[in-house]
Amino acid sequence: MVPLSYNLRSLAVRKTTTLATALGIALVVFVLASVLMLSNGIRGTLERAGSEDVAIVLRKGSDTEMSSGIEDANVGVVASAKEVKRRGDGQPDAVGEVVVVVALDKKGTEGVSNVTVRGVPDDVFAFRPEARIVAGRAARPGGAEVVIGKGVRGNFKGVELGQSFELRKNRPVQVVGVFEANGSSYESEAWGDLNAVRTAFGREEMVSSIRVRLESPAKLDAFAVGVEQNKQLGLEVMREAEYLEKQSEGTAIFIQAMGTVIAVLFSIGAMIGAMITMYAAVAHRRREIGTLRALGFSRASILFSFIVESVLLALGGGLVGAGASLLMTFARFSTMNFTSWSEISFSFDATPGIIGGSLAFAAAMGLLGGLLPAVRAARMPPVQAMRA
Amino acid sequence: MTLFGLALRNLRRNRFRAILTALGVAVAILTFVLLRTVIWAWNVAAEYAAKDRIATRHKVSFVIQLPKRYIDDVRAIKGVKAATWANWFGAKDPKDPNNFFANMAVDPASFLEVYDEIVLPPQQKRAWLENRRGAIVGDVLARKMGVKIGDRVTLLGTIYAGDWPFEIVGIYSAARKSIDRSQFLFHWEYMNESMPERRRDLIGWIVARIDDPGRGADISAKIDSVFDVRDAQTITMSERSLQLSFMAMFSAMLRALDIVSIIILVIMMMILGNTIAMGVRERTGEYGVLRAVGFLPRHIATFIVGESIALGLVGGVLGIAISYPIVELGIGRFLEENMGSFFPYFRVDPKVAGAALLLSGLLGAAAAILPARGAARLSVIDSLRRVE
Amino acid sequence: MAQANGESIVELRAVTRTFFRDKEAIPVLDALDLAVPRGAFEALMGPSGSGKSTLLHLVAGLDRPTRGSVRVAGDELTSMSDAALARFRARTVGFIFQAYNLLPVLTAVENVELPLLLTSLPKAERRRRAQTALRVVGLEDRESHYPRQLSGGQEQRVAIARAIVNAPAILLGDEPTGDLDRPSADDVLAVLEKLNKELGKTILMVTHDPAAAERASIIRRLDKGALKS
Repeated sequence: MVPLSYNLRSLAVRKTTTLATALGIALVVFVLASVLMLSNGIRGTLERAGSEDVAIVLRKGSDTEMSSGIEDANVGVVASAKEVKRRGDGQPDAVGEVVVVVALDKKGTEGVSNVTVRGVPDDVFAFRPEARIVAGRAARPGGAEVVIGKGVRGNFKGVELGQSFELRKNRPVQVVGVFEANGSSYESEAWGDLNAVRTAFGREEMVSSIRVRLESPAKLDAFAVGVEQNKQLGLEVMREAEYLEKQSEGTAIFIQAMGTVIAVLFSIGAMIGAMITMYAAVAHRRREIGTLRALGFSRASILFSFIVESVLLALGGGLVGAGASLLMTFARFSTMNFTSWSEISFSFDATPGIIGGSLAFAAAMGLLGGLLPAVRAARMPPVQAMRA
Repeated sequence: MTLFGLALRNLRRNRFRAILTALGVAVAILTFVLLRTVIWAWNVAAEYAAKDRIATRHKVSFVIQLPKRYIDDVRAIKGVKAATWANWFGAKDPKDPNNFFANMAVDPASFLEVYDEIVLPPQQKRAWLENRRGAIVGDVLARKMGVKIGDRVTLLGTIYAGDWPFEIVGIYSAARKSIDRSQFLFHWEYMNESMPERRRDLIGWIVARIDDPGRGADISAKIDSVFDVRDAQTITMSERSLQLSFMAMFSAMLRALDIVSIIILVIMMMILGNTIAMGVRERTGEYGVLRAVGFLPRHIATFIVGESIALGLVGGVLGIAISYPIVELGIGRFLEENMGSFFPYFRVDPKVAGAALLLSGLLGAAAAILPARGAARLSVIDSLRRVE
Repeated sequence: MAQANGESIVELRAVTRTFFRDKEAIPVLDALDLAVPRGAFEALMGPSGSGKSTLLHLVAGLDRPTRGSVRVAGDELTSMSDAALARFRARTVGFIFQAYNLLPVLTAVENVELPLLLTSLPKAERRRRAQTALRVVGLEDRESHYPRQLSGGQEQRVAIARAIVNAPAILLGDEPTGDLDRPSADDVLAVLEKLNKELGKTILMVTHDPAAAERASIIRRLDKGALKS
């Protein structure tokens, strides 16, 4: 076999060409890894909010909490089902909430965007133990106070600790605290008092959804049958995780589809770049190839050597690109979620799978780009090659 | 033969490499055109928005409805020529629940007056006005749903629970690119009369046509001031501002696409620059000969830059040529059918194609700057030595 | 008919050319004087490294002396700007290389036409002059051949046509027969002789080939940067 150091040195000798090609591949891998990280982040953000043992109840036919409505009287009926877990005080572990959006001035751009406002009961932090106040304090019940998720903090006018925004004319709510919720989509919401929010929005005696914690995840079916069989309620039950997956579907699919198209086109470009470079390398080194063949190296080892060189080149670029993409984990991406019509702030979530996959992708580009040139090198008759 | 002709001749030198490079450029330009078309199409609605239309909605949130009597107040305002209203219905086609399309309850007579770019044959219009269960659909949606005039369609309500039977009485097309041709429109009265008392006579938004587009801001302010003292405040803006604010919600996504479309150009420059640099290195001796017979360094630079521009333009033209069928027959059609509310018109705009062509030439020139400078700076004797 | 009235077309006075490799000075030409009369056919011989090519480069305006004066056809080259030197090369000298150095992407006639692209001559006139030059070297029937379709001797004759197409005052040859076999070399030399005798071109040629030198009217020998004859 031709020693690896021969390939490494050959790459080093043509450093401008090597650099240009590797950087091209680096950019491709950077974009690919970032897209994957973002779509992973979107799923993660939306799905992290879901627990296996929590069921969500919506009006039949409603896809989102926003389009759903349930009369107050029915909340008690649903929560009293025997599959619902009880708290220490014997009360069912359930919350009825109202979900609306308000249009607020977005900072940094002209125009407004929608922020989800969730009207929550007093015991919301007991129901969602993952949520906790990280700045300021919890809102006082019944008052015109809200807490905001750290994902929306500072993104909109008035959505900042100590400031206020209006739910309705002359009905401002004061931001008194900032909460964290395990990086989930709740962090892109503002939580206010249930009654205050629904009064402001003319939704008196209605909630958007009921969430109940089940005694065990396996109890879902029994609970669902119980609720859905009661035709008078007209409600539908879903596992929370499943519901949230549906919420993220549109946006995640859009970004993934876009990302896939971009990645495919980008990689064709980078592959052509690698191919040009490797063809030039082969043409340039005819004499060397002839000499190697004359020294007794086989066609196969020449073939292998050039493929290895190309893969090394691409992997070098891939490492730079994947490394750079890790910097994106410090960035946040705030956009409208197609399904919930409100702004959600996402992070770029890197996983070993994404980084490894991107590197494998780079290697594949090198392999495909280097294959034809390597075949040409291996096919060169030694005598003619040396004469050139 | 001319100086530029000589530059072109050099492209035939390494025909294979030139073809590969042009392909690389073509793929990059294709990607660029696709990305810019997404951004452009996103802007279409705002770009082609009617200048004499203003929309009024609830100040705080689109989920809060307005009292129907507001329409009379708007009509009474001086400068308002006509006004109509609509409600977002949000129902699904039970046969294809994943097919998202806009369905709205409208007042047919005033709606068609305000949106006069909606093209509906007179007898279909008459049929719609007379049939309370009648609905009209856009031609794009009709094709997708496979419905024709006379068909009965039942939608499953989400916000307005229940099954809603309709009869398709018309299929519209649009005289303006900003009109979504995937809408499903039906009588507001039909919906309103089946609502319980407390949800009756509420409308989603009001759209008005004004006499003088130049007075849009004044009239908008006038409308909002009328409702400022009522229990539901409004915000009124031009159709264009409305579209712009809608786009602002996706600003992060658009910015990401913007960045990616620049990255692909950088990759393209690397592929092109690499090829040019290789050619220059191989031909250094010839440049020495040209200098020896009296050509100036700037002539040499012109040859190299000219060659690069030509290569860039060939690739650019190829990329743009490929983009047309891909968009017209593939992506564009798919997006217009499935995401009509985001992309009412998804086609390659001549401006986008023109910019892509210009950029492929300009970046061709830019990619050649470094190699050309290097070749021009070399002394005659040094260049000549490369051959001898 | 050459050697008219003793007027010199090339005049080198006290020309010194020193190259620097790292910090070490390598003198190639040392206070050299040379005068070539108009209409002469001179051969410059000498071992490798004697400075013949450097001397030729100085006369061609491709290189500048470290010290001394180089006058060619009445122009003092040492005081010219780079652009002026390029113009001088385009108008006053024709250069013939050992390796022909034709551009492979151009046909014979296009190669010959190349220096005329720098002039403001109309297209048809350029082509006509290039064809004339090809006729002078006896290759009028090869004008649309590419270099790779020509023999070495033919390529060199195309190169000579390229050198004379702009009607230069002097032709400079750097081993014009160095890469050729005997019969081809003789063809090329015959062309040069004809240019000198019939058209009165001054020719200064560096060569290793005694047979080539014999055709010249004067043979000068260069050794270690100084003229020996």
